[in-house]
Amino acid sequence: MNIAKLIIFSFILLSFSTSGISREIGETEITTDDGIEVFQNEKYYLLKKNVTIASDDFEITSDRVKANFEIDLYDITSLETKGNSTLNAIKYGISGKGDEIWVDIISEVIIVLGKDSFLNLQETKMRSNGSIKVNNSLGNFELKGANSNLQNDELDIYGEYISGVFSEFEGKKEIKKLIVEDENLLTINTENLEMNAKKAVYDDQTNIIELFSKVKIVKGQEIITGDYGYFDTIKNSYKVKSDNTSKVKVTIKNSNE
Amino acid sequence: MNFLLTINKKQLIIFTSFFIFLILFIFIFIFLNNEKSITKINNITTNKSDIVKPKFSISGKESEIFITATNGNFLSEEKILLEDNVKFKSKDFQLISDNVIFDRKNLIATSDNESKFSSKNTSIISAGFDITENGNIINFKGQTILKIK
Repeated sequence: MNIAKLIIFSFILLSFSTSGISREIGETEITTDDGIEVFQNEKYYLLKKNVTIASDDFEITSDRVKANFEIDLYDITSLETKGNSTLNAIKYGISGKGDEIWVDIISEVIIVLGKDSFLNLQETKMRSNGSIKVNNSLGNFELKGANSNLQNDELDIYGEYISGVFSEFEGKKEIKKLIVEDENLLTINTENLEMNAKKAVYDDQTNIIELFSKVKIVKGQEIITGDYGYFDTIKNSYKVKSDNTSKVKVTIKNSNE
Repeated sequence: MNFLLTINKKQLIIFTSFFIFLILFIFIFIFLNNEKSITKINNITTNKSDIVKPKFSISGKESEIFITATNGNFLSEEKILLEDNVKFKSKDFQLISDNVIFDRKNLIATSDNESKFSSKNTSIISAGFDITENGNIINFKGQTILKIK
């Protein structure tokens, strides 16, 4: 008798709990506070005010979203959000925030735009006041604008332009190539070094970061300046050269200063 | 001998009864027929719609939208209030609502009642809608839920 009661109670409890979940598995639910405007000939629809797009794989929130489709409403090819936009795709280790987020579902391109934008790609954190672009299928990324920053376990990079290529190894994304440019000097921080230059190039084949123009390497109390430099990330060693017009300068700070 | 005296009383009673029953039967028959016709007239007079089961269509660029409803009432020369089970149907979608104002001249439909849209793998529930530009633009109004399978 007690078991029968328990089964009935469980069924009631289960039915109440599942009735609260509106979205079914495999379904994408879009909610808006101010409606949806469908343009059938132009093949897009506008989602207006407090938009939430929730699916099994990701969630997007924004003030306003434009969804482009191929054949019918279900067949979304790209999304363009505007105002207080967030993206969360836990399954792929991607999260982001910005004024605008563009997601091209076919080419797997994500672009985050606006001040204080960020895009986290697993352990790699990208920030910018301009734009952050990641092409997941081609495995490349690009950050443009003031205060652009790329951070992972080994490097902390600041520059006006940061681009690179990543590859996936055992489910983990690793940087293979990197180009950093900044007319007002870029900054690359490692565990015990700070590097400044106008341009830096990294290649994981050589494990070397090359520095070009107005090079400055700071290691502890030691400051070395020159026109060209490189840093070996495996050997943790560096070298600075100068062109014919200038000389390499080494400054050692007094620790008592 | 008087003729009346020659009539069998029994036969007279049977004949009279039969005659009375016949008249009664005819009276009841006519009465019932009259009742039916009165209810028919009543039905016609109580249905206050200007148009019963109205049908319209909007010819779009790519497809035609057929509009049906249970009742329709003229609000003006161009505008008709479509009431109860109003359906907009094209080859791609179906939209159901109650109380839709349809502008015959400009081919604009508008509703502030709960509307249910369904097409392939898609359903939309909204607080109302506007259909404009020959069915090209559908504006689902207010709090809206779109579900994609």
